[in-house]
Amino acid sequence: MVSPLCMLRAQAPTESRSVWDGVYTEEQAKRGEPVYHKECASCHGDMLAGGESAPALTGGAFQANWNGLTLGDLFDRIRKTMPQSGPGRLTRQQDADVLAFMLSINKFPAGKTELYRQSEMLKEIRFESKKPASKN
Amino acid sequence: MENLIFVCLSLALSLVPAIASAQYRPKDTEWPSYTADVAGTRYRPLDQINASNFSDLEIAWRIKTDNFGDRPEYRLEGTPLMVNGVLYATAGSRRAVIALDPETGELLWIHGEHEGKRGGAAPRQLSGRGLAYWSDGKEGRIFYVTPGFRLICLDAKTGARVPSFGENGVVDLKLNDDQEIFPDLETGEIGIQSAPVVAKDTVIVGAAFREGMTPRSMRNNKGYVRGFDVHTGKRLWIFHTIPKKGEFGYDTWEKGSAEYTGNTGVWTQITVDEQLGLVYLPVETPTSDFFGGHRPGNNLFGETLVCVDLKTGERKWHFQLVHHPLWDMDISSAPILADITVDGKPVKAVAQPSKQGFLYVFDRVTGKPIWPIPEKTVEVGNVPGETYSPTQPIPTKPSAYSRNGVSIDDLIDFTPALRERAKEIASKYHLGPVFTPPTVSKLEGPLGTLTMGTASGGTNWPGGSYDPETHTVYVYACNACIEPIGLVQAPKEVSDISYISGTAGREVEILRGPGENAGADSPKPPKKRASGGFVRMEVDGLPLIKPPYGTITAINLDKGEIVWQIAHGETPDVVRNSELLKGMNIPRTGQETYSVGTLVTKTLVIAGEGQVTTTADHPRGAMLRAYDKATGKEVGAVYMPAPQSGSPMTYVVHGKQYIVVAVSGGPYSGEYIAYTLPSAGE
Repeated sequence: MVSPLCMLRAQAPTESRSVWDGVYTEEQAKRGEPVYHKECASCHGDMLAGGESAPALTGGAFQANWNGLTLGDLFDRIRKTMPQSGPGRLTRQQDADVLAFMLSINKFPAGKTELYRQSEMLKEIRFESKKPASKN
Repeated sequence: MENLIFVCLSLALSLVPAIASAQYRPKDTEWPSYTADVAGTRYRPLDQINASNFSDLEIAWRIKTDNFGDRPEYRLEGTPLMVNGVLYATAGSRRAVIALDPETGELLWIHGEHEGKRGGAAPRQLSGRGLAYWSDGKEGRIFYVTPGFRLICLDAKTGARVPSFGENGVVDLKLNDDQEIFPDLETGEIGIQSAPVVAKDTVIVGAAFREGMTPRSMRNNKGYVRGFDVHTGKRLWIFHTIPKKGEFGYDTWEKGSAEYTGNTGVWTQITVDEQLGLVYLPVETPTSDFFGGHRPGNNLFGETLVCVDLKTGERKWHFQLVHHPLWDMDISSAPILADITVDGKPVKAVAQPSKQGFLYVFDRVTGKPIWPIPEKTVEVGNVPGETYSPTQPIPTKPSAYSRNGVSIDDLIDFTPALRERAKEIASKYHLGPVFTPPTVSKLEGPLGTLTMGTASGGTNWPGGSYDPETHTVYVYACNACIEPIGLVQAPKEVSDISYISGTAGREVEILRGPGENAGADSPKPPKKRASGGFVRMEVDGLPLIKPPYGTITAINLDKGEIVWQIAHGETPDVVRNSELLKGMNIPRTGQETYSVGTLVTKTLVIAGEGQVTTTADHPRGAMLRAYDKATGKEVGAVYMPAPQSGSPMTYVVHGKQYIVVAVSGGPYSGEYIAYTLPSAGE
């Protein structure tokens, strides 16, 4: 008989993944776009280019900030401190959808599974600004 | 070190009325004002830390600001003060004031104001940029302005509010402002981030508002400047940056637009010549950064440097840097007071750095430009309903120290292929030199005017530094902060302004500043689906504009000439690691951040990087760099775990020199870090 613990383990990703592995879906990014515009664009710009009061969410400086960290780190930062006028106002699902939209704008590839909304799952996905050589 | 006075004794002291006596004279080893002194120099004649040992600096102490408010802050912009053996700073998401031991970083006291809804609704949140100190030689006071726009006076020894100031230590800045703040005191939009300035017995406060790119209305509260008595909090004077009817300049707002237009505050640092009793006010843009159709006329005193009397607030002279502003060229930093020698004659001057990359230099007594600033013909636009100034003042000397227009020649050119791709992107926009007007955004082009030296370009709030020994201004500028400015019609339910910032084909959204309660009563944007216009200002991740991306420039004020200019900041990872540029020897490019401040000492210009990089020499982080102030040659660097987000300061305690800088950004929450030389024997 398979113990529940074994089943849990079987669900956890066994290979290390990065933002280049298709970690969100196009559908999810499309869901996240209007949420971004309503909640985030006011400071971060409708092109994610940032402004005087908030940094860009795309481009070299943004990627340098998170390179080597995980999506869980970025997700928790969003979840706990954004939007600045009311942190924690968005649901985990909304945060995940917004993050998916951000990943799509940063030109990380979409895939078949949606971006998780659990921090511990997102901590398994590395943010790497440089595309690995094995992917084309 | 002075014994710290604990609660009982300090309470007794604070009850003693302040007696006017010998004026308090700060020492060269202290940092008693946000910009070191009220002249805006960011300079200290210290050189224990110098070229021979800068790279040996170690962290003396550090303090995170996470728990000084209800949540961590990721944008710590403060510059602390060090006076009378205590370091004072604003910190944390509620803008508390902390007092620290300057040698160990030990927390001595903390004071935080809980402002509830009023704080939550504030247009300018988090810990702000700093505070002010006053002393008469007997008593010391700390002044700062909360996010909810209240001027607080604290006893410098205990951190307790001084009951005799205002109402129990508080002056409500939303009151007694010659206007009724609408819609109400709690949610009415007005606030500030900069430090108040104390000169003699006056404390001076400006005002700030939300981002002005897509305002909801042509009407807004106004940003007057006020001087208060440091003892009682009584309002001594007010200067109307938008003139009232009958006042000089009212007619520069045609069709009665001075009545309803707002903003036009002084949100950045104010400087004072205490001897002459003159105050220098750098004024920002009026309501609606990029469209002025509802405020025809030159709009005095928007984007104007104004000199007023310290005692009365009466205007002595003014010079408008931009007529009928359309580019969000707020005067963004402290006007620097410099005593120089021009053509053999001594001059009391004021030098104003700017977003547009000009350093405007005037006689600070008369307001006369030191070198001619003639009116030059500029391009006039054709946005419906807009009026344009046919000329703008452009300094002849010194020459521009950062890019303020966009031409094909400014585009990336590491390779011909990259240049071609950049030209393709640029072809979607209208290009031109400084003061090229914004255009209506059209799907078929132009999407807008491509600009540099506007909203986020050039020199921003950290401003410059001034070396009184060599009469040299040192100033950081973003040299690649590109800003496309296009206008779209705003539906009535979004804004009552005809045109606001936007891109054709994309949803029209109100760009609100941080801190707005974007709750259920905010208007819903129209459902215009994006069919085009998402243009990135980059080519394969590389910046659209060619290096240098960020610079530090040394400008000699006796001659009005640039002495040296260097790229400040390690080449960004995306450029260094780019496959497209493999094998190319690209000199250091500097970084395109706009909020880097400099510190000048006896021998060094010191500034940290505003961006994170990961190199062979250091893990993810940023470097605090020191340059020889005579030549610009880098002489040392130390590691910071995060970018510099507040301007550095320096002081000496017990014979040891320290440098303190605020770092934060990305995943790294706010922290003040103090550096010092290793102890002898280490």
